[in-house]
Amino acid sequence: MSAGATKTILVAEDDPVTRRFVVSLLEERGYQVLVAEDGEHAVSLAVSAAPDLLVSDLVMPYRDGYEVLRAIRNDPRVAHLPVLILSMRDREDDIVRGFESGADEYVVKPFNAREFVARVRKLLESRRA
Amino acid sequence: MQHVLVAAIVGTAAVFLALTVLIVAAKAGREIRDARRRSRRRALEPLVLRFVHGDDPSILAALGGGLDHRDRVVVEAILLDHVQRVRGIERDRLHRALDELGFVDRYLAELTSHRWWTRARGAENLGLAGAKRATVQLVNALDDDVPEVRLRAAKSLGLVGGRAAVRPLLQALAEPNRWSTIRIADILADMGHEVVRELMDAFPGLNRHGRLAALDILGRVHALESIPWLLDRMGDPEPDVRARAAHALGSIGVIAAAGRLRAALGDPAWPVRAMAAKALGRIHDAAAIPRLCVALCDAEWWVRANAAEALRRTGPAGLEALEAMLTDPDLFARHQACLMLDTCGILDRRIAQLGTTGASREAALRLIGGFVRAGQTAKLIELAGSHTDPAVRRALVGLLHPASPQHEGAA
Repeated sequence: MSAGATKTILVAEDDPVTRRFVVSLLEERGYQVLVAEDGEHAVSLAVSAAPDLLVSDLVMPYRDGYEVLRAIRNDPRVAHLPVLILSMRDREDDIVRGFESGADEYVVKPFNAREFVARVRKLLESRRA
Repeated sequence: MQHVLVAAIVGTAAVFLALTVLIVAAKAGREIRDARRRSRRRALEPLVLRFVHGDDPSILAALGGGLDHRDRVVVEAILLDHVQRVRGIERDRLHRALDELGFVDRYLAELTSHRWWTRARGAENLGLAGAKRATVQLVNALDDDVPEVRLRAAKSLGLVGGRAAVRPLLQALAEPNRWSTIRIADILADMGHEVVRELMDAFPGLNRHGRLAALDILGRVHALESIPWLLDRMGDPEPDVRARAAHALGSIGVIAAAGRLRAALGDPAWPVRAMAAKALGRIHDAAAIPRLCVALCDAEWWVRANAAEALRRTGPAGLEALEAMLTDPDLFARHQACLMLDTCGILDRRIAQLGTTGASREAALRLIGGFVRAGQTAKLIELAGSHTDPAVRRALVGLLHPASPQHEGAA
């Protein structure tokens, strides 16, 4: 078990294969993982479960990742929640828009798993600090 | 006769019944098989992913020492699904698992199938499996009679990478009758920096088609190491080579190329001048502004358009130069400057300033006066009747009809 054993991460991802990979990767590192399959569910889980970090795709049903970010940043209960975007969109405009919408990190798919975990850890540590 | 008719009806009904039973049975069989595979996937995927995230040397050990032949298809699907979604060490481990479980050998065997779709599938999966040891077979598949097999083999060579994969793809660039140059160029560009040295070495042996594609690829890869070589290509006797080299230098965006690109604005071939202007805009070369203003008077529309766009991209100094070009004696240069100033929103901003006082109004009057003198008045006429600010409307009418006594005071 790593130091992250008590941390809870919410993974919002509609692609089941990627979702299972990310969940497995994070659980392997000792994190507790919650799952949302669409943007609407992600926002409600973020509020009700108060995770330590949100990992969110951009393209999802009902509410896309940008809308999820906006909803979270506008809700004082979860406005502080660190958010990592994990998306196939690799254009400069998409990445800049992600940061402008309130993302703390942006990782492009296909992704390097170890780099992804390092960014997750860094975000969780910065939150603790 | 009646017996024959009854027999025919009964026979037909029996055939339909048999077909129905067959279809239902086949569907039920598929459903049962899919349900079993889903169930096995739920059981096996965590084991596969644990292997991928960990450092066990063997996937067989991670799967409990063996793999039931019915589970092979499930594990293969898991590995192929995940290998497309990750990079780095995890992908390497997925590649290793595909090889260890014998899938790479099977894909290699599929390449020799007499069915083209099986060969195509084998070629594609060898790329996903990152099978470097299949490079020779994939190169051979580039000569397949079926274009789909050739294309999938080419894509797979791009995924497998390495020097041995780059060379045949470069050869494919030189055969536009057998290959889509654009698709091969895409594959090579996706391979990134490993193609740069090979492209430059292979360049003299390529035909014209291949040489131009090679220059585009270097620009797309942003190959910094190719800059001196590209600068040399700016002296190539072939105008299209010089033009594509200029384009590539602009795509890479290195200010060190600015001097050579400025000189290329005087090239006798207009495609070179056009690409040089575009490239100078991309590298935001303020020192090129005077030459870009000259290029705005070029005899070729494409050069003028790229020069105007380059001036816009150069920033405030470039926009000032565009405004100054409104008084140029060359009508085409004035038109191009008007078009760019309108496109980038300067005209709208200046029109709004007609409702103000002081220096901003003076600047607006100068710019809009330039539009009127250049004959670019369609938008001004429309806004003279529809702008929400009456002061702006009056000023526009005064500028459009300066001799009209009732509007003399407007300007």
